[in-house]
Amino acid sequence: MDILSHLTPMFFGLIAAGTLIGIIFGAIPGMTATMAVAVCLPLTYAFGLQNGIALLLGLYVGGISGGMVPAVLINIPGTPSSITTTFDGYPMARRGEGERALKIGIVASVFGGLFSAAVLFFFAPVLADFAIKFSYVEKFLIILLALTVIASLCSNMLMGIFSGVLGVWLSLIGTYSITEGGNGEPRLMFDFMQYYLIDGFSLLPVLIGIFGLTTVLLDAEKGFKDETGQGPISLKGGAKFKFSVFKGQLTNLVRSSSIGTFIGILPGVGGSAASVLAYSQEKNFSRDSSQMGKGAPQGIVSSESSNNALTGGALVPLLSLGIPGDSTTAILIGAFTLQGIQVGPLFIGNNIDTWYLMIIALLAANVMMFGIMYFAIRHIAKVIEVPKYILYPLIIMMCVVGAYAINYGIMFDVWTLLLFGIFGWVAHKIGLETVPLIIGFILGKSAEVYFVKSIESYGNLSIFFTKSPIAMFLWVLIAVSVAFAIYLRVRNRRQPTVES
Amino acid sequence: MKAILSKTCLAVLATAAIGVSASAQAADDCPIPGNLRVVIGSTSTGGDTYQASSMVVDKLADQLDINAKVDAVGVMPGFQALERSRHGNTIMIFHDGAYLGNLYGVNGYPNIFDKFVVGPTVAINPGNAYLVPKNSPYQSMSDIIEAAGEGKKVKVAIQPGGVSEIGLTAMKNAVRAKYPGKESNLVAVNTGSQADKNQLLFDGAVDVINGSVQANEQYTQLPEDDQKAMRFVWITAREKTIAETNEEGMGDTTREQLLQYVTPKSSVPMSEDEDFTFDKEFFLLYNKDMDPAAIKCIDNALAEVYKDDEFKDQLKRSFFVPDYKPSEEAAGYLKEKNDEYKTIISNLKG
Repeated sequence: MDILSHLTPMFFGLIAAGTLIGIIFGAIPGMTATMAVAVCLPLTYAFGLQNGIALLLGLYVGGISGGMVPAVLINIPGTPSSITTTFDGYPMARRGEGERALKIGIVASVFGGLFSAAVLFFFAPVLADFAIKFSYVEKFLIILLALTVIASLCSNMLMGIFSGVLGVWLSLIGTYSITEGGNGEPRLMFDFMQYYLIDGFSLLPVLIGIFGLTTVLLDAEKGFKDETGQGPISLKGGAKFKFSVFKGQLTNLVRSSSIGTFIGILPGVGGSAASVLAYSQEKNFSRDSSQMGKGAPQGIVSSESSNNALTGGALVPLLSLGIPGDSTTAILIGAFTLQGIQVGPLFIGNNIDTWYLMIIALLAANVMMFGIMYFAIRHIAKVIEVPKYILYPLIIMMCVVGAYAINYGIMFDVWTLLLFGIFGWVAHKIGLETVPLIIGFILGKSAEVYFVKSIESYGNLSIFFTKSPIAMFLWVLIAVSVAFAIYLRVRNRRQPTVES
Repeated sequence: MKAILSKTCLAVLATAAIGVSASAQAADDCPIPGNLRVVIGSTSTGGDTYQASSMVVDKLADQLDINAKVDAVGVMPGFQALERSRHGNTIMIFHDGAYLGNLYGVNGYPNIFDKFVVGPTVAINPGNAYLVPKNSPYQSMSDIIEAAGEGKKVKVAIQPGGVSEIGLTAMKNAVRAKYPGKESNLVAVNTGSQADKNQLLFDGAVDVINGSVQANEQYTQLPEDDQKAMRFVWITAREKTIAETNEEGMGDTTREQLLQYVTPKSSVPMSEDEDFTFDKEFFLLYNKDMDPAAIKCIDNALAEVYKDDEFKDQLKRSFFVPDYKPSEEAAGYLKEKNDEYKTIISNLKG
């Protein structure tokens, strides 16, 4: 078989190197899997298609997985899709369970990754046919469903919704880009801002500003006087990792991995929506979600299994339709075009060896990611034992470098980082809820595009209810999700009363 | 240990010295920095702009013995980076969209002929195309023009303000010439990526989409009962441009078959005796203050690059047509092209 000749030490070496580099990229705030793949894309010339793809898939899997490290240890999502990992990962790290949280994340990640690789292998063409049933209308409803998580996550419903709407509003600053079918006209800004804000605020600088810089500012306000080498966060003292933590988590793992894979299949919806959606579904439908947001392993399981499941999912439309499922696979497609290979509905049939090699590379990347991270994490987790007066300047430096690099050297992105860092600090003071705000910011732009395009394509509002059975089903899910959030809130409010 | 250290230091110093003298020498011959950043007007690394730019820049860097990197920054950041780079550290590669955006009045698009120096053309992507579902009643462009003329609304999915829209403008122009006042029956459905345009066709929300031979050819091979199956109705390139592509064409569609969708066989009249054609051409843009000697140097280097038949074959294998014109000739040619399309666009507006 021809395929065996490609399974060389070089092939597996490149997967390992890619995975390791990807983990490093993912773990540095502001650097993402997408950036790792973009930086290494020209190398595919030198390596040839098969080896090049091995490297890029390693980077992809490693980059997505590495995002959990800063999310857990320093409360900064390494990649946008690890935002929900911060909700439970960081509280666990604060009580001395950083290593445990990371190991839970790693196991959940490898499960999600392998699950989606299996789905990709067995069902790619079928799922691609199903994915095209999702038009602008259904995609808008999926975004709306993901936005309902705001109702579950906020501590004050009214303020949470206000913060979410504010996040959506902030995401709309800039132009409705012609590359998305808009009119290219600037809005929500003064004329003098146009030069900088024509493309709006970039997601990553906003994200690391609100999460990273704000944390630094809030801690700086309290002062680091009591720290003389031993920070308040320690690796010792908390519960140790045991595989038994996954007992009763199978439903969560499978549901979250399915959500991640499915969102990956839908072009343009994005990885952040996957983890947000999986997290909200676990919060709504698990037997006991009372500890979620306070350091519950199930939150990390849902977040990490879903965002890693995105990898296989996003490859489904890429390899079955020639359409990238997310921003990273949009770059991955370049590896094929640079080699002059057409990617479309006939790709798998015409390139069967490449297809098998990609599946092998994806499986190997997940296994290697597990091997590298699981055994190295004990050392990586020690970062939280570094005194904050040393750690925080380094974090700020990494954030600034990451923000500057994210769009190939735009200084305004650094100002965005600083601006939103201060904004996050102010928001904390006046009681705005930053998590709903950032979710609104992440999903706002997609919601606008899908909403406007639905109206433009079909002409009336009723289409959102009548377009298809899938649309109706999504409305049911939205209603159930909101109802559950309200029910849980009422129940939680009553419980202390009953106890008292 | 000390000996190893001093040897290493010496080696590093020697390498640095060689590097400095090489750069100095390069600077004498050709005032181009040793590290050249090439921004492109697209954020996609899977698209034709990145593909063509990578191939050309790779060869150019070899020829000039410099480091060069292509950054897929997009249109506005690309223009802004170019504006800031007075010393030639950053140059840009883009296609006809650079001036079409200005002609369509898209916010932020400058008049590139005033604001920048238009450099050499490097390649043509002959694949700009329009497609219909395989089971569509429209068999040709004439059918579409006639349908619009007879009062039927024909929805066309495009990305506004550029290469994607110019074909629709030409269609409207053709309808207006034959059926004055009926051109509004061709309705633009503005959308974004190719995936979005395809999706609109799958949904039955539009009748025609703008696409490309590269991105859509495989869909034309699907059986008619497949929801995703499409059919070309028009390739906007000139007949002689398609004739310059490889005989094998693209995928399972041969050059001979592609020629069936090009003027004169597929006709969108621009005037009584001329059909509209559009070749999507890639060219370089420089900062207005770029040293003319550096421009000349890049021209000369590219002239050498395009003498290499192997490179031209490489471009053709990726379905590009090699198209080198030195800066001065390219600027005049593109300005002429700009003026021609300006007339069509303003006629329709007026």
